[in-house]
Amino acid sequence: MIKESYSVTGENELVKASLNGDKEAFGEIVTRYRKMVARTVKGMLGDSVFAEDIGQEVFIKLYFSLPEFRGEAKLSTYIQKIAVNLTLNEIKRRKRFFSMFSQKGNTEMYEFEVADHDTEERKEASEIVNKALMAMDTKFRIIVTMRMLQGYSTKETAEILDLPIGTVLSRLSRAQEQLRNILKKL
Amino acid sequence: MDTSETKKLLISSLNTDADPIEASRRLEEEGISFDFSKGFKDKILHKLFSAGLTINREVEFMKSMNFAFYRIALTGVAAIVVLLISIFLMEGSLSFNSFLGISDSYDESIVCLLTGN
Repeated sequence: MIKESYSVTGENELVKASLNGDKEAFGEIVTRYRKMVARTVKGMLGDSVFAEDIGQEVFIKLYFSLPEFRGEAKLSTYIQKIAVNLTLNEIKRRKRFFSMFSQKGNTEMYEFEVADHDTEERKEASEIVNKALMAMDTKFRIIVTMRMLQGYSTKETAEILDLPIGTVLSRLSRAQEQLRNILKKL
Repeated sequence: MDTSETKKLLISSLNTDADPIEASRRLEEEGISFDFSKGFKDKILHKLFSAGLTINREVEFMKSMNFAFYRIALTGVAAIVVLLISIFLMEGSLSFNSFLGISDSYDESIVCLLTGN
């Protein structure tokens, strides 16, 4: 059970407590940022069990890299960068694996799971988004995930992805075009 | 919201002049939200704090391997530099013959050296 006090504790205090091996403090970090990580990982990999594993890996990597976190950037940005890197690595790994053993396209690499408690309309909306995202090129999908699912500005997206703002803007425009074409077919 | 409206919302959320926070909030309202399964946090905490010692040891091992590699690589580079400087000081050049230590030898003397005559 999370200590009552941690729910209002600032992120720097949580980091310090986690560095001292405080399980509850790190648990609070996971609680605060799990949805953010889920949007990146599941937006990029699809709603599958593999995404859960990568999500766990993100927080495990965060725990061991906390000593290197100097607090210059926001903790959310730091976590987001870890999530993006691990997700892109996983996509590369899968592409290599599937190119060796199969001729299937990207969209067939993932399984979709839609929560049972959702209404039909909500399920349909989730399915459309999942299918559209998985049909997109990786470089556009990551931009769409940051912008559409995370709600990041162009500047924030550029910072997280280590890209120039101009590149983000041009990819955003091309991603929109690709998304429009994909959605026409769905 | 029907399918066509969802599609329009998705496309318009990527407009450069659209407010990304507002767009993502509207999508979440339409059921386009992501989260991990129940017990996600417990699994992480279990891995870190129950099996933490093993993971910690693995991480420490990798860190020391990394450190050792850099130390060895740096020592190697330093040795090569010292070798190059000493060759240059002794032979006066860094030609291939200087490296082989035969810069002062004539072809005939090398033949004699190799044949023993």
